Amino acid sequence: MDERLEKALEFSNYMVTLNNQKRLLKEKYYEDLLYFHSGCQFTVTKELITFVGMLISNSNDSDIVLVDDNNSPISIDNLNTFYENILDVYFSASNEYNTKYNELKKKRSVEKLVDIDE
Amino acid sequence: MSKGAILIARNNGNIDYVKQSVFLAERIQYYLKIPVSIITDSEEYLKSDFDHTVFDQIIAIPYKKTANTRAYNDGTLFYKTADFKNDIRHEVYNLTPYNETLLLDTDYIIANDLLSSCFNSNNDLMLFKSSEDIAKVRNEKEFDYVSDYSIEFYWATVVFFRKTQENEIFFDLISHIYKNWKHYTRIYQIDSPLFRNDFAFSIAIHIMNGFQKGNFAQQLPGKHLYTTDKDILWNLKNDEMLFLVEKKNYLGEYTAIKTIGQSIHVMNKFSLEREIDRVFSNE
Repeated sequence: MDERLEKALEFSNYMVTLNNQKRLLKEKYYEDLLYFHSGCQFTVTKELITFVGMLISNSNDSDIVLVDDNNSPISIDNLNTFYENILDVYFSASNEYNTKYNELKKKRSVEKLVDIDE
Repeated sequence: MSKGAILIARNNGNIDYVKQSVFLAERIQYYLKIPVSIITDSEEYLKSDFDHTVFDQIIAIPYKKTANTRAYNDGTLFYKTADFKNDIRHEVYNLTPYNETLLLDTDYIIANDLLSSCFNSNNDLMLFKSSEDIAKVRNEKEFDYVSDYSIEFYWATVVFFRKTQENEIFFDLISHIYKNWKHYTRIYQIDSPLFRNDFAFSIAIHIMNGFQKGNFAQQLPGKHLYTTDKDILWNLKNDEMLFLVEKKNYLGEYTAIKTIGQSIHVMNKFSLEREIDRVFSNE
């Protein structure tokens, strides 16, 4: 095989694996962003954080109704605690995502991407 | 309120669901911290060949032959045809010893504690609807809808349910759908005559929702991640799994994918059993 083509195919294989690993890492990130409160499930998004932060900054911090991922409404007794918890979930998940993503980027072979000893 | 997981193990001569159940039960106890019971027609085999104390209860059912058969792939180049004994899932409502039950396929490999949140959920019935093929090289549309012009698809691989009047009606309805399967394949435009629990559960949810989309069943947390039986589980160690997934347009070639801390539905039961054997032999 032409050496130029062989090198390109090798890199192509590497990119397929890299993209697969990045995609799975993103799925893991989405799972890590889930926050459970009083039987309801919330995906912690920037929108949720901003909305809750805005309510607190306007002193609307008790008996606030939010709608969860399954479209079920729930009254949040203590919005400040809720806010602290979702921030914690967001930063833990995002930091983990960032760390793992940067580790992936440094791996320059298929074997290293899937942690197989070369 | 009692809570626990239920696994169904009915061996077919080629696939050892009992072995898979023992393996999964250990993982469920480790990650979800709940008791596990097994429904099986192979009680003697379980007790003679495995540590059956991993199970909270062994619910014995009589051995039964089935007319359902299907091909089970082991990667892209090899397959075996074997019995497909999937006609008891709708009876789990009456068989489970728990008020809150997590019903799992024995090839759904738990690798995190996400499903433990079900037991605190306000929802009485939860299944996966969103799913993702980790290989991303195949058409995933078949898992969006039951057929091209039909209803939304729900996975029966993992089902959380509480004992409620509505859920009793739901499981009785699945039993009715099973008994009248030919009729329902015509109504819901299902091409294959093979009875599939995913389809039966999806149809029952559609009916319980008043023949429309609705929220009778809610989604389990996260996504249903899966590999098909054309992929190979190559290595399994704690929460890490290494797969060789089918390479598009290159029969017999694979791409490596590694998962960490993600629960995966591993449909290649042969490769799963090879890994279980390896793990058991190292214990």
